[in-house]
Amino acid sequence: MSAMSPETILRVDELSIVYRTDRGDVRATNDISFDLKRGEAMALIGESGSGKTTISLALIRKLPKNAVVTSGQILYQHDSNVQDVLGLSRRQLRSFRWNDCAMVFQGAQNAFNPVLKIRKQFEDTARAHGWADKTAIRKRALSLLELVRLDPERVYDSFPHELSGGMKQRTLLALGVLLSPQVVILDEPTTALDILTQRAIIDVLNDMQRKLQFSIIFISHDLSLAAEMADTVATVYAGEIVEIGGVDEIFYRSLHPYTYGLLTSVPTLEHAQDVLQSIPGSPPNLIAPPSGCKFHPRCSFASDQCQVDSPPLQLDIGSHLAACWHKDRLLASRKEDA
Amino acid sequence: MLHDQQPLATDQQPPAPNLSLMTARLYDPLLKVYRNYTARVFLQAIITIWVVMTLTFVLVRLMPGNPVDVLVEQILTAEGISYQEAYDRIAASFNIDKDATPLDQYLQWLGDLLRLDLGTSITSPGTKVIDEIARFLPWTVFAVGTGLLISFVLGIFAGMPMAYYRGSKLDHILSFFSSFSTGVPNYIWGLLIIIGPGISWRWFDIGALRGTYDVGLTPGVNAEFILSALEHAALPVFTYIIAILGTWMLSMKSSTTGVLNEDYVNVAEARGLKERTVISSYVGRNAALPLFTQLTISIGFVLSSGVVVEEIFVYWGIGHLLFQSITVRDYTTLQGVVLLLTAVIVFSNLFADLTYGLLDPRVRVSGEK
Amino acid sequence: MPESIIELQGVYRSFKTGRTVVPVLQDINFGVNKLEFLCLVGESGCGKTTTGKIICGLLPPSSGQILFEGQDIASLRGAERRRHRRSVQIIHQDPYASLNPTQTVKEMLSYPLLAHRLVNGRRGAENRVNELLDLVDLTPVEDFVDKYPHQLSGGQRQRVSIARALTTEPSVIVADESVSMVDVSIRIGLLQMMMDLRDRLDVTIVFITHDLALAKYFAWDGRIGVMYLGRLVEIGATQQIIAAPQHPYTKVLLSAIPEPDPHKTRSKQHIQLRSEDIPRLTELPPGCSFHPRCPWYVPGACDVTVPQLALPPQAVVDSEVACIPLERGDELVLHDA
Repeated sequence: MSAMSPETILRVDELSIVYRTDRGDVRATNDISFDLKRGEAMALIGESGSGKTTISLALIRKLPKNAVVTSGQILYQHDSNVQDVLGLSRRQLRSFRWNDCAMVFQGAQNAFNPVLKIRKQFEDTARAHGWADKTAIRKRALSLLELVRLDPERVYDSFPHELSGGMKQRTLLALGVLLSPQVVILDEPTTALDILTQRAIIDVLNDMQRKLQFSIIFISHDLSLAAEMADTVATVYAGEIVEIGGVDEIFYRSLHPYTYGLLTSVPTLEHAQDVLQSIPGSPPNLIAPPSGCKFHPRCSFASDQCQVDSPPLQLDIGSHLAACWHKDRLLASRKEDA
Repeated sequence: MLHDQQPLATDQQPPAPNLSLMTARLYDPLLKVYRNYTARVFLQAIITIWVVMTLTFVLVRLMPGNPVDVLVEQILTAEGISYQEAYDRIAASFNIDKDATPLDQYLQWLGDLLRLDLGTSITSPGTKVIDEIARFLPWTVFAVGTGLLISFVLGIFAGMPMAYYRGSKLDHILSFFSSFSTGVPNYIWGLLIIIGPGISWRWFDIGALRGTYDVGLTPGVNAEFILSALEHAALPVFTYIIAILGTWMLSMKSSTTGVLNEDYVNVAEARGLKERTVISSYVGRNAALPLFTQLTISIGFVLSSGVVVEEIFVYWGIGHLLFQSITVRDYTTLQGVVLLLTAVIVFSNLFADLTYGLLDPRVRVSGEK
Repeated sequence: MPESIIELQGVYRSFKTGRTVVPVLQDINFGVNKLEFLCLVGESGCGKTTTGKIICGLLPPSSGQILFEGQDIASLRGAERRRHRRSVQIIHQDPYASLNPTQTVKEMLSYPLLAHRLVNGRRGAENRVNELLDLVDLTPVEDFVDKYPHQLSGGQRQRVSIARALTTEPSVIVADESVSMVDVSIRIGLLQMMMDLRDRLDVTIVFITHDLALAKYFAWDGRIGVMYLGRLVEIGATQQIIAAPQHPYTKVLLSAIPEPDPHKTRSKQHIQLRSEDIPRLTELPPGCSFHPRCPWYVPGACDVTVPQLALPPQAVVDSEVACIPLERGDELVLHDA
């Protein structure tokens, strides 16, 4: 791989992770590679079980006990210093977590310790990373709570159960950027929230990112959210990135039949009837994945080659990469439809 | 529970008054008391105690023999006087009205009880039951309390690693011990201690450990007395610890296992908190919470199950008093002790219920509403 | 007017928890036309699930009536009551929770068939099970009859629960968030299968969802009813609701939802609410319950009177709305944020 440009903050390089289970090894991610730039918002989209959550957990080394990283590196560049996250010592890892890379998990409903006030949980976090001054912590926390459009004083002195779901989610976002991390990982940041609360969270996130300049990796099955927030979109299928590119490239000129299939299965609010289609079949079993291209059993473009050879992730135009033998046929068929 | 209810329609006519509403108004004050949670559970507690006491009253009188007969037997064999003579003498020295029917006795006793008067002992006239209890109870509280607290703390600290290293050798060993400890009743543990270290191996002199402190010492705040008291309590306390420890360990293990799966623990680790902080404030604190309730409830349970243990070690606590009063059929003392044990069990449950909120902020707030 | 198969008239429902009474539904009035696609849309706590249960007779209303084919279901007795129970079925959100994990697909489907004596003996049941699985596209049937729920994918499980709802040959099916737990790529297939059932089996489907885009897809030729805090605030033809929402809440909802198209979603105008806090059902504001958040709120009117669902006098479309300014024939005037 090429040398890391100073603009790159995080590089995932040929990362493969296996879950050891009683039924066999689950190949959760396979040769995943991507670069995340400073200030960039990248969306990992894919269905449940596609491996997108595994990737995000690997970034902060919070994989379940039965997970084994079989190959690859996660390089983190900070002050022209490059470290492999997978090689960090316990002490280094503890400091890397939240200080450099914060992760906002899915379901903020349960993300806070129910018996501690929000204040205590902000203080715990700051102190674990060397902040001693309580007033300084308070000042920073209140300004962040204000940034996420909450009543700072009231929320800071609340117990978690005194906050609504949307408020908890926003408080968690504020806690996420408490230590000014370079990278914030968001796992399904709006799932299970009400529509109007989702809108508030999206607006708050955009606002925060503009002001605080961190990079975002967010994981979602919601294509609309990716369309709205992402600079770069990566489609994950069966543990592999099958397509990655700028948000416009992915949405308007997708080169992988799976990405295209997802796009044509999502209803819109446009003032015309949607013509939608499901992708036939269901996601593959990752203990014994299909040969060749893992999408071939569900793909209408599949040929004999697809059953045998796994297509490499190849550069198309600009920064747009896709792993498909039949990009041209897909593009041609879309022109016909249009 | 959800109940059907007339809708609260601001824009609708109020429903016409009906019969059920009017009857409801009649019972309103009573309903109000019943709806108040605290009042309701107190009422339930009192009723429970009354039912148990009435059953006890009946049951002790159904026991074969009576206090007079027990002593008459003794005097007959010792002094060789006629039955009638012995009977009259004993009856005269007793604090009972021979002609009172059981119903009279019951009403009399209930009336006294309402004035918080437990009456006087039948077999030793002039001794108030309450004084007897006051003499024996502190020793039981001391032994049971120490045993309970030590086992609780040990159990919490042993239960957490069991959950953290689930499936490991450590977990298997500790789990085996816990099941053993829980499965074997405390009096069996007591007997094992007496037979093993006490009699077979002679690690200590069982005989000298009778009672609650060495003969000849005067109770007071002096080193000699305190040391002696500790020494005498050591075996019952140790028995309690061994017998209850397993319960705490298993409870803590399952509670910790649950908490370890909670999102907030995961998030705490992702926040880069020190391991110590996560274990104590995030895992430990939440996992131990439900155990405090259990602790309060178990006070009553251990107190009553300690009766046999005290008798085994000849430790003069409330259990010893209970045994004695059964032997001589001292109905009033017996009733007094049973009342005490029942009240402790019922009220410790009640207390656990009402104080849980002090520990868990989630309950605290909804309780205030 | 087309014939209503189900009609809700002045339906109220409240629950009591401890000392507080929670009004979950207030003054719900609407009809479900025979064979139409009707969607109930709203956020959590709006009462859409309760409405679904009331339609099925799983929950009695606190007051008001539910007419099934013109008859008050509360007055049904004996055979008629059983017929209503069979005719109106519900499909729940989580097929994993609603399917018995210890029964095979065949056992699960044969049981109601045999219990209601809808088939003749084992042989009849077997044939009918095969027919049902075929209807929900679980083919080849032999691959599925002997499977347990955990051996099926989420989409397949949901198809089994639909097949089970079909065992009693219902004329109405209430589908409560029936596809929200299913992966995006197979959601539409499931929805299309349900839409086909109407034509194949003459069944009317009431679809309950929080996803307006999904509602639009499902009920394109039908109607959408929008609920907010226990009340129906707007109901009308889907295409009108999407293109020309009338009620402020519907407008705000439509403006808030992101679209799967980067340019469109980023240039979308979002209407700002006056407040983001959703009132609790136990502390509903007076008047219109949306007024504390409504950007078009008229002081002195919206916070006083509860609006009634009706066709506004100066309506450009024929959606019924519950909104005071619209009721008076006024234009909505946006507040400065």
